[in-house]
Amino acid sequence: MSQPLPQRYGAIAQAGHWLTLLLVIGAFALGWIMSDMKMSPTRLKLFSYHKWIGVTIFGIAVLRLLWRQWAKAPPLPPAMPAWERIGAHLSHWGLYALLLAIPLSGWLMSSAKGFQTVYLGHFPIPDLIGRDRELGKLLEDVHELLTTILLFVVGLHAAAALKHHFFNRDDVLTRMLPRWRKTGDAS
Amino acid sequence: MKLFTAVLLSLAAVSAQATPRTVDTARSDISFSVKQMGVAVEGRFKRFEAQVNFDPAKPETSSAALSVDIASIDAGSDEADSTAAERAWLDKAGFPKATFKSSSVRATGPGKYEAKGLLTIKGKPREITVPFRATDQASGATLLSGQFSIRRTDFGVGGGEWNEGDLVSNDVPVTFQLLLAPAK
Repeated sequence: MSQPLPQRYGAIAQAGHWLTLLLVIGAFALGWIMSDMKMSPTRLKLFSYHKWIGVTIFGIAVLRLLWRQWAKAPPLPPAMPAWERIGAHLSHWGLYALLLAIPLSGWLMSSAKGFQTVYLGHFPIPDLIGRDRELGKLLEDVHELLTTILLFVVGLHAAAALKHHFFNRDDVLTRMLPRWRKTGDAS
Repeated sequence: MKLFTAVLLSLAAVSAQATPRTVDTARSDISFSVKQMGVAVEGRFKRFEAQVNFDPAKPETSSAALSVDIASIDAGSDEADSTAAERAWLDKAGFPKATFKSSSVRATGPGKYEAKGLLTIKGKPREITVPFRATDQASGATLLSGQFSIRRTDFGVGGGEWNEGDLVSNDVPVTFQLLLAPAK
């Protein structure tokens, strides 16, 4: 690496990270509520909002990955053992993969169920696959399974950040926080 | 004597009719599209009966009667199907059939026609005009195809909370294709 790596995440990387967290919480809450609801106009609205948030999360994940090529992530603390490094890299790339794969599975599932995704109610996203009941149910299961995995990895990711902050007392958590904050809630 | 006249008259009426043509329902299609929050959801009815008399030479003698089995709706997912069959929507239990009966047919151009008739959904009859085309198939069959739009609220389809705001479009485009077997 010819250029020295930064020690902190920049404002854009931080904004992408925390915005993604907010959107994931929103999409998860909506998905949880609407899947148990009886059909109603409110439910249709929630479905649309859920899809719009999903498309947004996907878009932000793509932008974040592109941004990472330009503004490199700060290196992991040198004191970290190899297994922790591997774990950190696996969970980070796993999170990106899930942030792409979950919206993708949701989009395909919508197509299979005959409800095209129309971003913000105005921008139709083409259906890659046609209507197919069985495939729709399968993709629904895939969407839920991937979400469960995401929940697990996010939990691990947050726990690791807190462990670094409170036990290792390094800057792994604070470098993802604006400078004026000494401590933060990473849940 | 009266009876005799009646029989004669009805025979005359029968002979004035275009020949009935068998409708190949397996290769025919009745579908619609409902828009919710900008998303068009397509649906179709898999079972329907159709009696069509069609004579392109004398279109005014043509007539059509269709009966659509509401339970045969296919809106893409079990959830959409069961919602469509609910009381607020098509009320499968209360009104298992939707019907159309033509009252008049006329030519509007080469290969183009227009049927007027009564469309009954959820027991509510409404006069509608259906433009359609007739195209001869290589097999000798005739394909009648057309599109018209209905307002679902005219038939009390999707009331109450479903009509608030612009969530679900009122206009429902309906497209159909009826394949008539070759005239005997």
